[in-house]
Amino acid sequence: MLRTGKVAEAPIAPADVASPPQAKSFRGSVQLRHVDAGSCNGCEIELGTCFSPVYDGERYGVRLVASPRHADGLVVTGVVTEHMATALEKTLEATPEPRIVIALGDCAMNCGEFRDAYAVRGAVSDVVPVDVAVPGCPPEPEAIIAALRKVTQR
Amino acid sequence: MTFAQGAFGLAGLLLLLGGLSGLLLPTTARRFLTNLLTAIGAGAACVGAIRVFTSNEPLSIVANNVLPFGQAVFEIDELSAFFMLVIGVVAIPAAIYAVGYTKHGLSSRTTQAMFPVFVLSMLLVVSAASMATFLICWELMAITSLVLVVTEHRHRDARSAGIWYAAMTHFGFLAILVGFAILSMHAPLDTFGVIGESSLTITPWLRSLAFLLFFVGFASKAGAVPFHVWLPRAHAEAPSHVSALMSGAMVKMGIYGIVRVCWDLMGLGSRWWYMVILAVGIVSAIFGILHAMASHDLKRLLAYSTSENIGLILIALGAAGIYKVGKSDALAAFAVAAALLHVLNHAVFKGLLFLSAGSVLFATHNRNLDQLGGLAKRMPFTMLTFAIGAMAISAIPPLNGFASEWLMLQSLFQGIPSDSAYRNVLFPLALGAMALAGGLVAATFVKALGTGFLALPRSESAAEATEVGGFMKIGQLLLAITCVVLGFGASFLSGLLTRTVASLRGLYDIEPINHHHAWMQLPGSSTRLSTLVIGAVLIGAVILTIVVLRLLRSPAKARVAPTWACGRELQTPRMEYTSTSYAEPLRRVFANVLRPDSDISVDRRNESQYFVQSVHYYLDLRDVIERRFYTPLLTFARKWGELGRQLQNGSIHRYLAYIMVALLCVLVIAR
Repeated sequence: MLRTGKVAEAPIAPADVASPPQAKSFRGSVQLRHVDAGSCNGCEIELGTCFSPVYDGERYGVRLVASPRHADGLVVTGVVTEHMATALEKTLEATPEPRIVIALGDCAMNCGEFRDAYAVRGAVSDVVPVDVAVPGCPPEPEAIIAALRKVTQR
Repeated sequence: MTFAQGAFGLAGLLLLLGGLSGLLLPTTARRFLTNLLTAIGAGAACVGAIRVFTSNEPLSIVANNVLPFGQAVFEIDELSAFFMLVIGVVAIPAAIYAVGYTKHGLSSRTTQAMFPVFVLSMLLVVSAASMATFLICWELMAITSLVLVVTEHRHRDARSAGIWYAAMTHFGFLAILVGFAILSMHAPLDTFGVIGESSLTITPWLRSLAFLLFFVGFASKAGAVPFHVWLPRAHAEAPSHVSALMSGAMVKMGIYGIVRVCWDLMGLGSRWWYMVILAVGIVSAIFGILHAMASHDLKRLLAYSTSENIGLILIALGAAGIYKVGKSDALAAFAVAAALLHVLNHAVFKGLLFLSAGSVLFATHNRNLDQLGGLAKRMPFTMLTFAIGAMAISAIPPLNGFASEWLMLQSLFQGIPSDSAYRNVLFPLALGAMALAGGLVAATFVKALGTGFLALPRSESAAEATEVGGFMKIGQLLLAITCVVLGFGASFLSGLLTRTVASLRGLYDIEPINHHHAWMQLPGSSTRLSTLVIGAVLIGAVILTIVVLRLLRSPAKARVAPTWACGRELQTPRMEYTSTSYAEPLRRVFANVLRPDSDISVDRRNESQYFVQSVHYYLDLRDVIERRFYTPLLTFARKWGELGRQLQNGSIHRYLAYIMVALLCVLVIAR
């Protein structure tokens, strides 16, 4: 350690897109409630890695919380199945305004490879309005953090 | 005739008139007139009682040829006047409440007529001043309340409650009778004053025996453990205005008996007498509140809570006696004053709780807390009054329960660093018991208020409830206002308490609580309390918080949305906490005291052991003293009774032989 000195991962640059309009009222502190609307759990694993010591999303002001009543917004993974459609609507309704919806992964954005399956209602934007979309199947942790940095503007 | 005599005479007349109107008038007129006459009569008695305090004349009335065993002597001194105020403060709202409550099916002639006679009998008990008068008025009180308890005699539970109550009140009467017989050995059937003087010459162990008999009799009327088994049954089955009066005023007659007979009449006794009172108080407090916590029947919960409060009062009285024996007269007077203040406060908030519970029963026909709920939107006024009563009984400042609990705790604290080993060991024990009871009371009433009124209704009967009518609301409102007024103005009652305590033997000329404007100061220490100031500070803090929050709030409007339920689609009241589940942790912790008997049996399907068809859960929380002590006693008595039946087999020859043997014995003995 005395020879190599401190070595760390390079910080991840924010994404090359405009910040959503709610970012100003969040003022750098965003509590998010994760909703699994019917995913294969690949996006969940990547999202969990974002908050691990390696990528550490919390240093950018983002936190995952347990109740939508405590949250500033939702991060939704997976295609919206028939079983979870009402639950997703109720969760969004329980979130106080100003609120944001982040669609994580290809399934959340445009149903991915589960389009036209019998149990699928649609993409997340067919059920609730979406503010930020992160493409990928699953998206890399760097891409997720880059998008989150745009929401917190930190 | 003095003003006070006139007031009491008017009270008696109005109450008797109320009884007559209950017998003679048709249904609707009966309901209104009887109960309103009761309220006015009780009010007249209160006016007379206040007059006894403001003037300096204790008054006495002697009536010849009324009773079979000599004169009827009534004497109303400050202690009697205080207890008359206690009776009146519950009787007036209960009577007004009864106008609305007895509308459906409870307005029979007997029920309506007995109510004013019951109030009259209690007023007579506190004013009785001779042995015969006291015993006859006591029995009158027992009989009238018994008739009122079995109002709904078509229900098996009400009949059973009546039988238990009748048996235990007469057992208590027998104990008191024998006690009086012993005490008045040298001056039989005379007035209290003469009996008191002559009793000083009785041998000490006879006096102790008399004390024990008196204590058993009066403690059973007061509902102290282990003589309390009639209380949950009777108070639960009686109509609610009667329960309020019984729990608020009648059990205090037991306390009156202990103070009047065991303190005033008999004078100072041995220390172990008061240790017995203290011990019974500790046991009653803990046992009572644990059963209240575990109970899912709203009125049984309130009845057990009465038992607990009587325990607290007995703790204070026992401590007073121990102080007196140890020659700390000022502390003894203070402890008695604290106990008497709790007597008054308990009457007020327990009366309020029973009247609110009665409103719930009137609206839903259901006493089971596991099936109530959702009444906050349907019965907001009742919920408000129940909440005030619940906060008062949990001793939350600035309501009245806080002042009296604080005084009782202080009366124990003041005596602790002392030379007497008895005090140093017993008083911390009593303090621990009071603290435990206090915490459990808060939990119990959170349970009662929360599961009974909040959330969604758990049954159809609760869903169809509507708010009660005008007279019932007025009765509840009167008591709620009294709770608040007695709470804020607790220090202004010091004068009343001083006059009452100063009339007791051995405590003359002592000022238990120094009263300076709105502050109560304890004698001999710098400890002070002002409930007025506490109340003002609390209200100020609440208003300040509301104003500051309103100023800091964002201009966006608040949105009304359903409660977050994890996105469930199907949300039924079956998913809510029930009162049984809320009490389960405490039931588990105190299982050694409560001894619940529970069983789970699971039925599985024939086709596969892994699929459950039905689950049966059985929980038996009957009173452990009733189960382990009274039921075997009754079984034993029944067995001996059945054995005795063989003596009476119907044969005339055997009966003639009995008569001859008895005659021979009498001739031999009386030779």
